[in-house]
Amino acid sequence: MAKRILSVFEKKATENFPFKDAEFEAVGLSLKKEVDKVFGRSLAIRELDSGSDNSTEIELVNLTAPHYDVERFGITFVASPRHADVLIVTGAVTLNMATAAKKTYDAMPNPKFVVAVGDDACGIGILNNSYAVLGGAEKIFDVNLKIPGNPPSPKDILKGILALTKKISEIKK
Amino acid sequence: MKLNDELEKLFGKKLEIAAGLNNELYLTVQENQVQKAISRLYENNFELILLFCAENFVDKGFTLFYAFEKVGYSEILVLQCSLAGNHVASVATVFPSACWYEREVTDGFGVEFSGAFDKRRLFLHETYPADFHPLLKSFKNGKIETVTPSGDEYPFKVVEGEGVYQIPVGPVHAGIIEPGHFRFSVIGETIFNLEIKMFYKHRGLEKLAEGLKPQECVKIAETVSGDETVANAVAFCSAVEKISNIAVSRRALQLRTVFLELERIYSYLGDLGGMIVDVAYPAGASPFFILREEIFRQNEALTGSRFMKGIVALGGLCKDVPEQALRNLSAFLGSFSKRLGKAEGIDNTFSLIDRFETTGNVKPELLIPLHVTGPVARASGKTTDTRIDHPYGLYREMDLKVRTLQNKDVLARFSLKAEEILDSIKIIQDVLCKLDSGEIFAPYQIKDGYALSIVESARGQSVHWVLLKNGLVDRYKVRTASFCNWQAIEHAVLGNIVPDFPLINKSMNLSYAGTDL
Repeated sequence: MAKRILSVFEKKATENFPFKDAEFEAVGLSLKKEVDKVFGRSLAIRELDSGSDNSTEIELVNLTAPHYDVERFGITFVASPRHADVLIVTGAVTLNMATAAKKTYDAMPNPKFVVAVGDDACGIGILNNSYAVLGGAEKIFDVNLKIPGNPPSPKDILKGILALTKKISEIKK
Repeated sequence: MKLNDELEKLFGKKLEIAAGLNNELYLTVQENQVQKAISRLYENNFELILLFCAENFVDKGFTLFYAFEKVGYSEILVLQCSLAGNHVASVATVFPSACWYEREVTDGFGVEFSGAFDKRRLFLHETYPADFHPLLKSFKNGKIETVTPSGDEYPFKVVEGEGVYQIPVGPVHAGIIEPGHFRFSVIGETIFNLEIKMFYKHRGLEKLAEGLKPQECVKIAETVSGDETVANAVAFCSAVEKISNIAVSRRALQLRTVFLELERIYSYLGDLGGMIVDVAYPAGASPFFILREEIFRQNEALTGSRFMKGIVALGGLCKDVPEQALRNLSAFLGSFSKRLGKAEGIDNTFSLIDRFETTGNVKPELLIPLHVTGPVARASGKTTDTRIDHPYGLYREMDLKVRTLQNKDVLARFSLKAEEILDSIKIIQDVLCKLDSGEIFAPYQIKDGYALSIVESARGQSVHWVLLKNGLVDRYKVRTASFCNWQAIEHAVLGNIVPDFPLINKSMNLSYAGTDL
């Protein structure tokens, strides 16, 4: 028991590994600046899986894991579309998901932005000829930015989000 | 006893048995004998692992295939039954696991199952027109006219009584998760009934595979479920390699084994961390996520992809792995067990045990009727592991033991997965010690034929059946572990409180994509 109580003073697991990815940190810090400026310090993202193979979701979840921890940069993944500024769409849009996908987008307040993440969502995957999918996210949404990859890495996704904020920042001017 | 002998004992001599190409036996039965034969197999402890259909397999018309395994036999028994028309007797009252398969066959081919207790559509939701059956050869893949649902809701099971209310959840969930609909009937906080509606992500993969060259189809196998990329790619390739009699080099088999086990490790690490997050203890989960990320980086160094996509190829591997990456992997694994042990100390935490213990029991009596598979089955006491029961590739030479636990709850699944990670580390280390230096690719010529192939993915048994005609894929059937285990969760949550549902769900780690195809 005493050991357990004293363990509070030990170094935490997240403090025990060296963080080396300077490029990721740099992207994160510029993103933070943009988010501060354009989104009032917090950018809320709602993820919508419209028919992916689940690897893109895993990379999005990884963004919140210790190596990346994007909450440091003002990015939060929110539970409700009503709290979201950005809709991240993963996967091709399947016929079975099309209605639910549209409803999710409709529930978001304005202004709102859509980012397609992964080859299928960008409309360049291997599913396009299938009876079961409409195609990429742009078949039902106005897509503001595409982040291709099968799946894109956490760093690629963060770079994409940075590009989006810069784009919006241009519009704002 | 050999499987052949047992079949003769059950069904008499003069059977129409044909040996398959990958340790399966095809037994032809007449249409009117199906139900009787399957009841007989049920009484003799055979377990249904897959039911699927193919069109124009022998002559024109439909052929149904019922695949079975039985403890003690490494062979798979496949009952093969050609239909005169498009209907046959349902076997869902004998094997409840047949229910989803039969609905799947009806959607895909329009084959009707008389006497079935559930005839709702499965993967074709309300937006698909009536009489649309995508897997018929007469349907050429392409865009179709959808219909606006008439407003009649999908009929869920209605549970009535004082104080019973329904909680509809999904398809879009409150997190970065795949879509599916859960309909809870609840009294107070206790779950009284759960019905799940899946297949929102149905992408039509089996139809997309038709007409492709086998080597092009590996991509389809990989996209079945992103976090089972290697398992499904290996299963597909093994089937085609059996059909075309391709001898995969030893080095390729060894490296495939390394990838398969790395996939298992990162998948399990995600489950362990996820379970801890779901009882609101993120600090305790962090060490697992750190290790998991490091595995993703090892994967990338070895194969160029964090999910090891595009490395497995027909005839071996697409490319060799860098020597330096292999050395780094060995060094990394050297300290891995110790670090995992430290992280795992978490399961001594009272608040965690309180939430994990007795939660989400998967009852042993459901294991065979629903064909529950993988770690979920092993944590409920079932001695099952495809690597041992139906060994493939390098596992044929390994002396592996099936780990089981009896407690059948979330804690049992947590502990089992933690122990199995250590086993996987050992497997990889053993393989790396004796790594062959030969070729990684065997040139081949595609032959026609069909074969069944099973691989133990991180989630359990993944069954693939491939039929090649004129050098092209004519039928590709995939059944992942999640397809079976999803049906078990409807039972595992009963009597639990709603806030424990995410925890139970995470402990079973089910793939939506791998189910919906």
